[in-house]
Amino acid sequence: MPLVESFSRWIHGTRLSWAVRGGYPWLWPACETLHFVGMALLIGIVGLLDLRMLGFVKGLPLKPLNRLLPWGIFGFAINLTTGFMFFAGDPFQYIHNAVFWFKMAFVVLAGINVGAFYLTGISRRVDSVQGGEDVPTSAKLVAATSLFLWIGVMYWGRMLPFLGDAF
Amino acid sequence: MRRVRSGSDPVATLSALENSGFGIWVRESGSLWSYPTIIFLHSLGLSFLVGMNVALNLRLLGVAPGLPLAPLDKLFPIMWFGFWMNAVSGVALLIADATTMMISPVFWVKMTCIAAAVVIMVLIKRQLFSTPRVEVTPLPLRAKFLAASSLLLWAGAITAGRLTAYLGPVAGLKGR
Repeated sequence: MPLVESFSRWIHGTRLSWAVRGGYPWLWPACETLHFVGMALLIGIVGLLDLRMLGFVKGLPLKPLNRLLPWGIFGFAINLTTGFMFFAGDPFQYIHNAVFWFKMAFVVLAGINVGAFYLTGISRRVDSVQGGEDVPTSAKLVAATSLFLWIGVMYWGRMLPFLGDAF
Repeated sequence: MRRVRSGSDPVATLSALENSGFGIWVRESGSLWSYPTIIFLHSLGLSFLVGMNVALNLRLLGVAPGLPLAPLDKLFPIMWFGFWMNAVSGVALLIADATTMMISPVFWVKMTCIAAAVVIMVLIKRQLFSTPRVEVTPLPLRAKFLAASSLLLWAGAITAGRLTAYLGPVAGLKGR
């Protein structure tokens, strides 16, 4: 993929890359810490919505529960930002690492899953579900897919140093 | 003449743990089922333990005020599941790097944060979910104080946990 190669070469030459790579030695550990905080936010809020749709914590009505969602999106934004900084810092350890591309593929699939949830109208039908009620089967399928994919993203991320040789 | 009894020497005990068959397997076997899987489970447990705590605490702090409190009682089993998952995986990781971790100040900061956060989790359960007054609004200031402290302590635990790979004595490869 020549485009990925040339993008990596370009970003490796930026000051951001230098800073993350060790120009500021505290920056990489700080990003790592934030990456885990973002993960807890994302899995906490999105995972709770998924578990509710799957029938755990069933007493919760869906509409008010959705008010927590911005915090899950905030967690994702933190991880997109810090993740991009890791990439900028050392792009070549990632682009030749299959595990990194599995992780990215799972993130994209999770995005498609969210898109399907909102664009097919499933989200509107879920919105009116009260405490104690079941969501439609289509929504359960979306929730199970979401849980699987986000846990998968975490798995591939954790495997970067072991199945590949990035960190 | 001094007699050295290995049982009374903490460093020798830690070293024995670290060099036990299990410790060596976790650290050095290269098996996907040892260190990599254990540290993945540690992240998974973290996400559910801290994540569900965050959701509960945000509600207590006034986000999503329309969300009834009583059903959130069901979050506690999920949190405890995450806690025990991480206690078990954490002990396995600790055995593998016992001599380094036990003298790492930042590791003890992590343990302190977790202990305090778990105490607060139990206090929230006892004070807000064990009475029929669970739907009382507005929530007492005490509940918001507990929620805010919990968020800070979990953030502290994650920070210290991540920094064990960078600060002070570091086992294995830095940053892994």
